[in-house]
Amino acid sequence: MDRKDIKKWIKEPGKMGHKYSLHAIYFCTGCGIIEVPPVITSRWDAERFGVIPVATPRQANLFLITGYVSVKTLKAVIRTYEQMPEPKWTVGFGSCPINGGMYWDSYNTIKHLDKYIPIDGWIAGCMPRPEAIFVAVTHLWTLIDKGEAKAYVKYREKYKYYRDNQEKVLGKLDWPALYKENQK
Amino acid sequence: MTNKNLKFLEKKLKLSFKDSLINISEDTRIIIIAQKEQVLNILKFLKGKGYDHLALISCADWIEENEFELVYIISSYGDPHTNWENIAKSKQPIGVGVNIILKTRISRENPQFITAIPVFENAEPYEREIHELFGINFEGHPRLTPLFLEREYKIPPFRKDFDTRKYVEEVFDKIPFVEEKK
Repeated sequence: MDRKDIKKWIKEPGKMGHKYSLHAIYFCTGCGIIEVPPVITSRWDAERFGVIPVATPRQANLFLITGYVSVKTLKAVIRTYEQMPEPKWTVGFGSCPINGGMYWDSYNTIKHLDKYIPIDGWIAGCMPRPEAIFVAVTHLWTLIDKGEAKAYVKYREKYKYYRDNQEKVLGKLDWPALYKENQK
Repeated sequence: MTNKNLKFLEKKLKLSFKDSLINISEDTRIIIIAQKEQVLNILKFLKGKGYDHLALISCADWIEENEFELVYIISSYGDPHTNWENIAKSKQPIGVGVNIILKTRISRENPQFITAIPVFENAEPYEREIHELFGINFEGHPRLTPLFLEREYKIPPFRKDFDTRKYVEEVFDKIPFVEEKK
């Protein structure tokens, strides 16, 4: 631990704790997931940065969406995201979740992921190097420090619109609304 | 040896199915272009000869000719306990590593065909997939329910007249960003 950080630790221990223990849900979608095994194992060792993969969404607070999201995957993405406890952060990995990438005119791939769930940050590229994940993680630290990584708050506030968009693509959703008070 | 077996098979096929076009395109490949009424009989015949592995059913949309083309690819792993000398004597050809490509055309206006499940049970998912992506109805199939897709499409998405770009503009591009809403 850095000596300079002691002040921060005393001031906001919760924030510092969250910052250095990012538990990434091991959710595999698209081709980007192929970059994740070397990242979490000995070659790049993500645990240096406090990032560790976990099996279930209820233990996770970091969501890496690692590739194109088809309509069927979107359903799983939403369900996973809603199960994660707050605070939670999402990072879109690769160019496909940003604007469709090479699937920009596909009949079954959604183009902009941030229309359906809120995203804290993007890693552009096809494929991004594994180092890009660490750049994203360190950038996420500064965002958490400044209190700007608040996508989950936005989801709570604008849940009505997000749910509206989700239903436009998926039809009637067969699970209840996450936030009752913001329903139409 | 394979080639000899193939020649034998070709001869047999030409005797039994006179309407079909049969030719050997490569050392290990035989192409049969059949009328649609004959397909199930040919499949039964091939299975009886030992070609017991249906590798794939595929489909192509020939929009200018107003036809769908169904492609069945059949091969054989062979019996691991086969005594090859006995087979050669009894003239029961099984070619391991041989691909038999069976093609047939059906009308595009009325995309109806019969299921191959009675002969090859593993035809089920392939036919479901073709039903979903091309809209071909397989008579006698126990469950032609959606397999991959979550949405419903007016035109099945793998047909040539399905305009993906227009579809994307109408569906995914029309959905607004959350920031734009107030």
